[in-house]
Amino acid sequence: MKPVNFKFRHKLNTIIGGEAHNFCYQCGACVGDCPAALYSPAFNPRNILLMALLGDEESLVGPDSVIWDCTNCNTCYERCPQAVRPVEVIIALKNISFGKGTNPPGVKSILDSVKETGRTVKTSSLSDRRRKELGLKEISIVPLEELKKLLE
Amino acid sequence: MQLLTVTEFMKYAPFFGCMISVKYPQMEASVRKTMANLGMELVDLQGFSCCPDPIYFKATDKLTWMTLAARNITIAEEAGLDLVTMCSGCTATLSEANFHLKHDPELKEKVNQRLKKIGKEYKGTVSVRHIVTVLRDDLGIEKVKASVKKPLNLKVAIHYGCHLLKPSEIMRVDDPDHPTILERLFEAAGAETVKHEKQVLCCGKACTHEEIPEKMTFDVLSSIKKSGADFMGLICPTCFDEFDLGQINLSRKFSVDLKVPIIYYFQYLGLSQGLSPEDVGLHLHKTKADEMLKKIS
Repeated sequence: MKPVNFKFRHKLNTIIGGEAHNFCYQCGACVGDCPAALYSPAFNPRNILLMALLGDEESLVGPDSVIWDCTNCNTCYERCPQAVRPVEVIIALKNISFGKGTNPPGVKSILDSVKETGRTVKTSSLSDRRRKELGLKEISIVPLEELKKLLE
Repeated sequence: MQLLTVTEFMKYAPFFGCMISVKYPQMEASVRKTMANLGMELVDLQGFSCCPDPIYFKATDKLTWMTLAARNITIAEEAGLDLVTMCSGCTATLSEANFHLKHDPELKEKVNQRLKKIGKEYKGTVSVRHIVTVLRDDLGIEKVKASVKKPLNLKVAIHYGCHLLKPSEIMRVDDPDHPTILERLFEAAGAETVKHEKQVLCCGKACTHEEIPEKMTFDVLSSIKKSGADFMGLICPTCFDEFDLGQINLSRKFSVDLKVPIIYYFQYLGLSQGLSPEDVGLHLHKTKADEMLKKIS
Protein backbone atom coordinates (compact mmCIF):
# COMPACT_ATOMS: atom_id res chain seq x y z
CA MET A 1 0.00 0.00 0.00
CA LYS A 2 1.20 3.46 -0.92
CA PRO A 3 1.95 5.89 1.93
CA VAL A 4 -0.56 8.66 2.60
CA ASN A 5 0.15 11.72 0.46
CA PHE A 6 -0.10 14.44 3.11
CA LYS A 7 1.14 17.10 0.73
CA PHE A 8 -1.95 16.65 -1.38
CA ARG A 9 -4.19 16.66 1.70
CA HIS A 10 -2.61 19.89 2.88
CA LYS A 11 -3.32 21.43 -0.49
CA LEU A 12 -6.96 20.30 -0.25
CA ASN A 13 -7.11 21.96 3.20
CA THR A 14 -6.37 25.35 1.66
CA ILE A 15 -9.45 25.36 -0.59
CA ILE A 16 -12.87 26.52 0.65
CA GLY A 17 -14.73 23.44 1.95
CA GLY A 18 -11.73 21.15 1.36
CA GLU A 19 -10.50 21.02 4.95
CA ALA A 20 -13.65 19.16 6.09
CA HIS A 21 -12.38 15.97 4.41
CA ASN A 22 -10.31 15.45 7.59
CA PHE A 23 -13.47 14.77 9.60
CA CYS A 24 -14.79 11.87 7.49
CA TYR A 25 -15.00 8.65 9.51
CA GLN A 26 -16.21 6.57 6.54
CA CYS A 27 -19.70 5.79 7.84
CA GLY A 28 -21.17 5.76 4.33
CA ALA A 29 -24.27 7.87 5.12
CA CYS A 30 -23.48 9.86 1.97
CA VAL A 31 -23.91 6.85 -0.31
CA GLY A 32 -27.47 5.63 0.27
CA ASP A 33 -29.35 8.52 -1.34
CA CYS A 34 -26.62 9.64 -3.76
CA PRO A 35 -28.22 9.67 -7.23
CA ALA A 36 -24.88 9.41 -9.04
CA ALA A 37 -24.01 6.31 -6.98
CA LEU A 38 -27.41 4.86 -7.74
CA TYR A 39 -26.91 5.29 -11.49
CA SER A 40 -23.19 4.70 -11.80
CA PRO A 41 -21.35 1.91 -9.94
CA ALA A 42 -18.09 3.80 -10.47
CA PHE A 43 -19.29 6.75 -8.38
CA ASN A 44 -19.23 6.46 -4.61
CA PRO A 45 -18.86 9.55 -2.38
CA ARG A 46 -17.56 7.53 0.56
CA ASN A 47 -14.86 6.10 -1.65
CA ILE A 48 -13.97 9.56 -2.96
CA LEU A 49 -13.56 10.72 0.65
CA LEU A 50 -11.40 7.68 1.42
CA MET A 51 -9.17 8.52 -1.53
CA ALA A 52 -9.00 12.10 -0.24
CA LEU A 53 -7.90 10.82 3.19
CA LEU A 54 -5.22 8.73 1.52
CA GLY A 55 -4.20 11.68 -0.63
CA ASP A 56 -4.71 9.72 -3.83
CA GLU A 57 -3.94 12.67 -6.07
CA GLU A 58 -3.60 10.68 -9.27
CA SER A 59 -7.07 9.12 -9.13
CA LEU A 60 -8.88 12.17 -7.77
CA VAL A 61 -7.53 14.99 -9.90
CA GLY A 62 -6.08 13.15 -12.86
CA PRO A 63 -7.79 13.07 -16.27
CA ASP A 64 -11.19 11.32 -16.38
CA SER A 65 -11.62 11.44 -12.63
CA VAL A 66 -14.92 10.13 -11.30
CA ILE A 67 -15.46 13.40 -9.37
CA TRP A 68 -16.95 14.96 -12.52
CA ASP A 69 -19.95 12.64 -12.31
CA CYS A 70 -21.16 14.22 -9.08
CA THR A 71 -24.68 15.58 -9.71
CA ASN A 72 -24.13 18.44 -7.22
CA CYS A 73 -27.52 17.60 -5.70
CA ASN A 74 -26.33 18.32 -2.12
CA THR A 75 -27.99 15.21 -0.66
CA CYS A 76 -24.69 14.07 0.91
CA TYR A 77 -24.45 17.53 2.50
CA GLU A 78 -27.82 16.79 4.14
CA ARG A 79 -26.93 13.27 5.28
CA CYS A 80 -23.36 13.60 6.61
CA PRO A 81 -23.31 13.41 10.45
CA GLN A 82 -19.83 14.95 10.53
CA ALA A 83 -20.61 18.05 8.46
CA VAL A 84 -17.98 16.96 5.94
CA ARG A 85 -20.24 18.21 3.13
CA PRO A 86 -18.81 15.70 0.63
CA VAL A 87 -20.15 17.69 -2.33
CA GLU A 88 -18.06 20.68 -1.25
CA VAL A 89 -14.95 18.49 -0.85
CA ILE A 90 -15.61 17.19 -4.37
CA ILE A 91 -15.89 20.75 -5.72
CA ALA A 92 -12.64 21.64 -3.92
CA LEU A 93 -11.05 18.67 -5.71
CA LYS A 94 -12.46 19.98 -8.98
CA ASN A 95 -10.71 23.31 -8.25
CA ILE A 96 -7.40 21.45 -7.94
CA SER A 97 -8.12 19.52 -11.14
CA PHE A 98 -8.87 22.79 -12.94
CA GLY A 99 -5.55 24.19 -11.72
CA LYS A 100 -3.79 21.20 -13.27
CA GLY A 101 -5.78 21.39 -16.49
CA THR A 102 -7.28 17.91 -16.13
CA ASN A 103 -10.89 19.16 -16.10
CA PRO A 104 -13.45 18.31 -18.80
CA PRO A 105 -13.39 20.91 -21.63
CA GLY A 106 -16.89 22.19 -20.80
CA VAL A 107 -15.62 23.76 -17.58
CA LYS A 108 -13.13 25.98 -19.35
CA SER A 109 -15.67 27.05 -21.98
CA ILE A 110 -18.09 28.22 -19.25
CA LEU A 111 -15.30 30.29 -17.66
CA ASP A 112 -14.34 31.73 -21.05
CA SER A 113 -17.94 32.60 -21.82
CA VAL A 114 -18.30 34.49 -18.53
CA LYS A 115 -15.00 36.30 -19.17
CA GLU A 116 -16.00 37.32 -22.69
CA THR A 117 -19.69 38.11 -22.27
CA GLY A 118 -20.45 38.08 -18.53
CA ARG A 119 -22.85 35.21 -19.11
CA THR A 120 -22.79 31.43 -19.45
CA VAL A 121 -25.24 31.58 -22.34
CA LYS A 122 -24.35 33.96 -25.15
CA THR A 123 -26.99 36.26 -26.61
CA SER A 124 -27.82 36.01 -30.31
CA SER A 125 -30.13 37.66 -32.82
CA LEU A 126 -32.57 34.80 -32.12
CA SER A 127 -32.57 35.39 -28.36
CA ASP A 128 -32.98 39.15 -28.89
CA ARG A 129 -35.93 38.55 -31.22
CA ARG A 130 -37.58 36.14 -28.82
CA ARG A 131 -37.33 38.63 -25.98
CA LYS A 132 -38.92 41.28 -28.16
CA GLU A 133 -41.76 38.99 -29.25
CA LEU A 134 -42.53 38.20 -25.61
CA GLY A 135 -42.73 41.90 -24.77
CA LEU A 136 -39.47 41.99 -22.81
CA LYS A 137 -36.97 44.82 -22.70
CA GLU A 138 -33.56 44.45 -24.33
CA ILE A 139 -31.21 42.36 -22.26
CA SER A 140 -29.15 44.39 -19.75
CA ILE A 141 -25.48 45.12 -20.26
CA VAL A 142 -22.88 43.39 -18.11
CA PRO A 143 -20.02 45.69 -16.99
CA LEU A 144 -17.25 43.53 -18.43
CA GLU A 145 -14.45 45.84 -17.26
CA GLU A 146 -15.41 45.15 -13.65
CA LEU A 147 -15.53 41.39 -14.24
CA LYS A 148 -12.17 41.50 -15.97
CA LYS A 149 -10.56 43.08 -12.91
CA LEU A 150 -12.04 40.41 -10.65
CA LEU A 151 -11.06 37.56 -12.96
CA GLU A 152 -7.43 38.65 -13.39
CA MET B 1 -48.47 57.23 12.13
CA GLN B 2 -49.82 55.71 8.99
CA LEU B 3 -49.05 52.04 8.53
CA LEU B 4 -47.69 50.95 5.20
CA THR B 5 -49.91 48.58 3.32
CA VAL B 6 -48.58 45.14 2.51
CA THR B 7 -48.00 45.94 -1.15
CA GLU B 8 -45.80 48.90 -0.29
CA PHE B 9 -43.36 46.51 1.36
CA MET B 10 -43.31 44.17 -1.59
CA LYS B 11 -40.52 45.47 -3.72
CA TYR B 12 -37.83 43.10 -4.89
CA ALA B 13 -34.81 43.20 -7.13
CA PRO B 14 -35.24 40.38 -9.65
CA PHE B 15 -32.22 38.33 -10.70
CA PHE B 16 -33.13 36.43 -13.85
CA GLY B 17 -29.70 34.99 -14.66
CA CYS B 18 -28.34 33.73 -17.99
CA MET B 19 -30.46 30.66 -18.72
CA ILE B 20 -33.76 32.50 -18.28
CA SER B 21 -32.85 35.85 -19.86
CA VAL B 22 -31.16 34.39 -22.91
CA LYS B 23 -32.28 30.82 -23.48
CA TYR B 24 -35.74 30.71 -21.93
CA PRO B 25 -37.12 34.28 -21.98
CA GLN B 26 -40.63 32.80 -21.84
CA MET B 27 -39.89 32.18 -18.15
CA GLU B 28 -38.97 35.82 -17.59
CA ALA B 29 -42.06 36.97 -19.48
CA SER B 30 -44.35 34.74 -17.43
CA VAL B 31 -42.79 35.88 -14.13
CA ARG B 32 -43.16 39.57 -15.06
CA LYS B 33 -46.73 39.19 -16.28
CA THR B 34 -47.96 37.13 -13.32
CA MET B 35 -46.18 39.31 -10.75
CA ALA B 36 -47.89 42.36 -12.21
CA ASN B 37 -51.23 40.58 -11.79
CA LEU B 38 -50.32 39.88 -8.15
CA GLY B 39 -49.41 43.51 -7.50
CA MET B 40 -45.79 42.74 -6.72
CA GLU B 41 -43.18 45.21 -7.84
CA LEU B 42 -39.97 44.04 -9.47
CA VAL B 43 -37.37 46.81 -9.46
CA ASP B 44 -34.82 46.12 -12.22
CA LEU B 45 -31.27 46.94 -11.21
CA GLN B 46 -28.40 47.38 -13.64
CA GLY B 47 -25.01 45.70 -13.72
CA PHE B 48 -25.62 42.04 -12.86
CA SER B 49 -23.42 39.36 -14.41
CA CYS B 50 -23.84 35.57 -14.43
CA CYS B 51 -24.56 34.52 -10.83
CA PRO B 52 -21.99 32.69 -11.56
CA ASP B 53 -22.95 29.13 -12.42
CA PRO B 54 -22.79 26.83 -9.35
CA ILE B 55 -21.57 23.78 -11.27
CA TYR B 56 -18.86 24.52 -13.82
CA PHE B 57 -17.83 28.04 -12.83
CA LYS B 58 -17.69 27.00 -9.18
CA ALA B 59 -15.54 24.04 -10.28
CA THR B 60 -12.82 26.40 -11.54
CA ASP B 61 -12.16 28.36 -8.34
CA LYS B 62 -14.52 28.73 -5.38
CA LEU B 63 -13.07 32.03 -4.20
CA THR B 64 -13.55 33.69 -7.60
CA TRP B 65 -17.04 32.19 -7.80
CA MET B 66 -17.84 33.68 -4.42
CA THR B 67 -16.36 37.06 -5.37
CA LEU B 68 -18.49 37.37 -8.50
CA ALA B 69 -21.56 36.32 -6.54
CA ALA B 70 -20.74 38.92 -3.87
CA ARG B 71 -20.41 41.56 -6.57
CA ASN B 72 -23.95 40.79 -7.73
CA ILE B 73 -25.24 40.96 -4.15
CA THR B 74 -23.63 44.38 -3.57
CA ILE B 75 -25.79 45.79 -6.39
CA ALA B 76 -28.91 44.81 -4.43
CA GLU B 77 -27.33 46.09 -1.19
CA GLU B 78 -26.73 49.50 -2.75
CA ALA B 79 -30.42 49.64 -3.71
CA GLY B 80 -31.54 48.33 -0.31
CA LEU B 81 -33.63 45.55 -1.87
CA ASP B 82 -33.73 41.81 -1.37
CA LEU B 83 -32.69 39.74 -4.37
CA VAL B 84 -35.33 37.47 -5.81
CA THR B 85 -34.17 34.60 -8.01
CA MET B 86 -36.19 32.63 -10.56
CA CYS B 87 -33.59 29.96 -11.36
CA SER B 88 -32.53 27.32 -8.87
CA GLY B 89 -28.92 27.62 -10.02
CA CYS B 90 -28.78 31.37 -9.37
CA THR B 91 -30.57 30.71 -6.09
CA ALA B 92 -27.89 28.20 -5.10
CA THR B 93 -24.95 30.45 -5.95
CA LEU B 94 -26.29 33.67 -4.45
CA SER B 95 -27.76 32.03 -1.32
CA GLU B 96 -24.63 30.01 -0.61
CA ALA B 97 -22.33 32.97 -1.12
CA ASN B 98 -24.54 35.22 1.01
CA PHE B 99 -24.70 32.59 3.78
CA HIS B 100 -20.95 31.94 3.92
CA LEU B 101 -20.05 35.62 3.68
CA LYS B 102 -22.45 36.45 6.51
CA HIS B 103 -21.07 33.66 8.71
CA ASP B 104 -17.35 33.76 7.98
CA PRO B 105 -15.66 37.14 8.64
CA GLU B 106 -12.30 35.91 7.33
CA LEU B 107 -13.83 34.89 4.02
CA LYS B 108 -15.73 38.16 3.84
CA GLU B 109 -12.45 40.03 4.31
CA LYS B 110 -10.79 38.05 1.51
CA VAL B 111 -13.69 38.68 -0.88
CA ASN B 112 -13.84 42.38 0.03
CA GLN B 113 -10.11 42.72 -0.65
CA ARG B 114 -10.88 41.61 -4.20
CA LEU B 115 -14.01 43.74 -4.54
CA LYS B 116 -11.96 46.81 -3.57
CA LYS B 117 -10.43 46.68 -7.05
CA ILE B 118 -13.80 47.77 -8.47
CA GLY B 119 -14.76 50.02 -5.58
CA LYS B 120 -17.35 47.69 -4.10
CA GLU B 121 -17.86 46.23 -0.64
CA TYR B 122 -20.02 43.31 0.43
CA LYS B 123 -21.84 44.20 3.65
CA GLY B 124 -24.32 41.39 4.24
CA THR B 125 -27.45 43.53 4.44
CA VAL B 126 -29.86 41.78 2.06
CA SER B 127 -31.43 38.36 1.65
CA VAL B 128 -31.53 36.13 -1.41
CA ARG B 129 -34.77 34.27 -2.01
CA HIS B 130 -36.26 32.05 -4.65
CA ILE B 131 -39.43 33.71 -5.90
CA VAL B 132 -41.65 30.79 -4.87
CA THR B 133 -40.81 31.52 -1.22
CA VAL B 134 -41.87 35.14 -1.75
CA LEU B 135 -45.26 33.94 -3.01
CA ARG B 136 -45.72 31.56 -0.09
CA ASP B 137 -44.29 33.67 2.74
CA ASP B 138 -44.74 37.34 1.80
CA LEU B 139 -47.73 37.42 -0.50
CA GLY B 140 -49.49 34.33 0.81
CA ILE B 141 -51.02 31.33 -0.94
CA GLU B 142 -54.53 32.83 -0.68
CA LYS B 143 -53.57 35.85 -2.77
CA VAL B 144 -52.13 33.59 -5.44
CA LYS B 145 -55.42 31.71 -5.43
CA ALA B 146 -57.40 34.95 -5.67
CA SER B 147 -55.50 35.94 -8.83
CA VAL B 148 -56.77 32.87 -10.73
CA LYS B 149 -59.48 33.70 -13.26
CA LYS B 150 -60.10 30.22 -14.64
CA PRO B 151 -58.88 27.15 -12.79
CA LEU B 152 -57.65 24.77 -15.49
CA ASN B 153 -57.87 21.66 -13.33
CA LEU B 154 -54.99 19.97 -15.13
CA LYS B 155 -53.01 17.26 -13.40
CA VAL B 156 -49.44 18.22 -12.53
CA ALA B 157 -46.58 15.94 -11.48
CA ILE B 158 -43.97 18.07 -9.76
CA HIS B 159 -40.23 17.90 -10.23
CA TYR B 160 -38.63 19.75 -7.32
CA GLY B 161 -35.01 19.93 -8.45
CA CYS B 162 -32.21 19.95 -5.90
CA HIS B 163 -31.07 23.50 -5.38
CA LEU B 164 -34.33 25.02 -4.21
CA LEU B 165 -34.20 22.77 -1.14
CA LYS B 166 -30.64 21.72 -0.43
CA PRO B 167 -28.49 22.37 1.55
CA SER B 168 -31.46 22.96 3.84
CA GLU B 169 -29.37 24.71 6.51
CA ILE B 170 -28.66 27.42 3.93
CA MET B 171 -31.85 27.38 1.85
CA ARG B 172 -34.35 27.09 4.73
CA VAL B 173 -37.20 26.70 2.25
CA ASP B 174 -38.88 23.45 3.16
CA ASP B 175 -38.42 19.88 4.41
CA PRO B 176 -35.78 18.72 1.87
CA ASP B 177 -37.10 15.16 1.72
CA HIS B 178 -40.84 15.83 1.92
CA PRO B 179 -41.36 19.31 0.50
CA THR B 180 -44.82 20.82 -0.04
CA ILE B 181 -44.19 24.33 -1.33
CA LEU B 182 -44.69 23.56 -5.02
CA GLU B 183 -47.79 21.41 -4.42
CA ARG B 184 -49.34 24.29 -2.51
CA LEU B 185 -48.52 26.79 -5.23
CA PHE B 186 -49.72 24.61 -8.12
CA GLU B 187 -52.93 23.84 -6.22
CA ALA B 188 -53.43 27.56 -5.56
CA ALA B 189 -53.09 28.09 -9.31
CA GLY B 190 -55.91 25.61 -9.85
CA ALA B 191 -53.99 22.44 -10.72
CA GLU B 192 -54.51 18.99 -9.28
CA THR B 193 -51.24 17.55 -7.99
CA VAL B 194 -50.45 13.87 -8.49
CA LYS B 195 -47.65 12.05 -6.69
CA HIS B 196 -45.00 10.19 -8.61
CA GLU B 197 -42.17 7.93 -7.49
CA LYS B 198 -39.24 10.10 -8.56
CA GLN B 199 -40.50 13.41 -7.19
CA VAL B 200 -37.24 14.42 -5.50
CA LEU B 201 -34.76 12.70 -7.83
CA CYS B 202 -32.10 14.92 -9.36
CA CYS B 203 -32.26 15.73 -13.12
CA GLY B 204 -28.59 14.74 -13.43
CA LYS B 205 -27.65 17.70 -15.62
CA ALA B 206 -24.38 18.35 -13.78
CA CYS B 207 -22.78 14.95 -14.54
CA THR B 208 -20.12 14.92 -17.19
CA HIS B 209 -20.88 11.47 -18.63
CA GLU B 210 -24.20 11.71 -20.35
CA GLU B 211 -25.34 8.13 -19.61
CA ILE B 212 -26.09 9.11 -16.00
CA PRO B 213 -28.41 12.06 -16.69
CA GLU B 214 -29.99 10.15 -19.55
CA LYS B 215 -31.03 7.33 -17.26
CA MET B 216 -32.21 9.74 -14.54
CA THR B 217 -34.20 11.82 -16.99
CA PHE B 218 -35.75 8.73 -18.47
CA ASP B 219 -36.73 7.40 -15.04
CA VAL B 220 -38.22 10.71 -13.89
CA LEU B 221 -40.23 11.11 -17.10
CA SER B 222 -41.41 7.49 -17.02
CA SER B 223 -42.46 7.94 -13.41
CA ILE B 224 -44.51 10.98 -14.44
CA LYS B 225 -46.00 9.18 -17.42
CA LYS B 226 -47.13 6.39 -15.07
CA SER B 227 -48.73 8.90 -12.68
CA GLY B 228 -51.28 9.98 -15.29
CA ALA B 229 -50.29 13.65 -15.04
CA ASP B 230 -50.92 16.04 -17.93
CA PHE B 231 -47.56 17.74 -17.49
CA MET B 232 -44.43 18.12 -15.38
CA GLY B 233 -44.33 21.29 -13.28
CA LEU B 234 -41.01 22.78 -12.19
CA ILE B 235 -39.22 25.99 -11.25
CA CYS B 236 -35.68 25.53 -12.57
CA PRO B 237 -34.46 26.32 -16.13
CA THR B 238 -31.61 23.80 -15.91
CA CYS B 239 -33.98 20.96 -15.02
CA PHE B 240 -36.23 22.32 -17.80
CA ASP B 241 -33.37 22.02 -20.28
CA GLU B 242 -32.74 18.44 -19.24
CA PHE B 243 -36.41 17.41 -19.51
CA ASP B 244 -37.71 19.49 -22.43
CA LEU B 245 -34.88 19.27 -24.94
CA GLY B 246 -33.46 16.15 -23.24
CA GLN B 247 -36.70 14.34 -23.83
CA ILE B 248 -36.43 14.83 -27.61
CA ASN B 249 -32.88 13.47 -27.56
CA LEU B 250 -34.00 10.47 -25.49
CA SER B 251 -36.87 9.72 -27.86
CA ARG B 252 -34.47 9.69 -30.81
CA LYS B 253 -31.80 7.67 -29.10
CA PHE B 254 -33.99 4.98 -27.55
CA SER B 255 -37.05 5.12 -29.79
CA VAL B 256 -39.36 5.88 -26.88
CA ASP B 257 -42.30 8.23 -27.01
CA LEU B 258 -42.47 10.10 -23.73
CA LYS B 259 -44.28 13.33 -24.68
CA VAL B 260 -44.46 14.89 -21.23
CA PRO B 261 -44.92 18.68 -21.52
CA ILE B 262 -42.63 20.57 -19.15
CA ILE B 263 -44.15 23.73 -17.67
CA TYR B 264 -42.46 26.37 -15.50
CA TYR B 265 -44.66 27.34 -12.56
CA PHE B 266 -45.25 30.92 -13.68
CA GLN B 267 -46.35 29.79 -17.13
CA TYR B 268 -49.09 27.71 -15.54
CA LEU B 269 -50.04 30.52 -13.17
CA GLY B 270 -50.20 32.84 -16.18
CA LEU B 271 -52.57 30.53 -18.04
CA SER B 272 -54.78 30.37 -14.94
CA GLN B 273 -54.75 34.15 -14.71
CA GLY B 274 -56.11 34.30 -18.25
CA LEU B 275 -52.93 34.78 -20.27
CA SER B 276 -52.70 32.93 -23.59
CA PRO B 277 -50.26 30.06 -24.28
CA GLU B 278 -48.34 32.48 -26.56
CA ASP B 279 -48.19 35.14 -23.82
CA VAL B 280 -46.30 32.67 -21.62
CA GLY B 281 -44.27 31.29 -24.55
CA LEU B 282 -45.44 27.67 -24.56
CA HIS B 283 -44.89 27.57 -28.34
CA LEU B 284 -41.14 27.89 -27.72
CA HIS B 285 -40.88 24.54 -25.95
CA LYS B 286 -39.33 21.60 -27.75
CA THR B 287 -41.83 19.14 -26.28
CA LYS B 288 -45.16 20.52 -27.42
CA ALA B 289 -48.02 20.95 -24.98
CA ASP B 290 -50.74 20.49 -27.62
CA GLU B 291 -52.53 17.57 -25.94
CA MET B 292 -52.58 19.40 -22.65
CA LEU B 293 -53.86 22.61 -24.24
CA LYS B 294 -56.68 20.76 -26.02
CA LYS B 295 -58.12 19.92 -22.61
CA ILE B 296 -58.45 23.58 -21.68
CA SER B 297 -59.48 25.11 -24.98
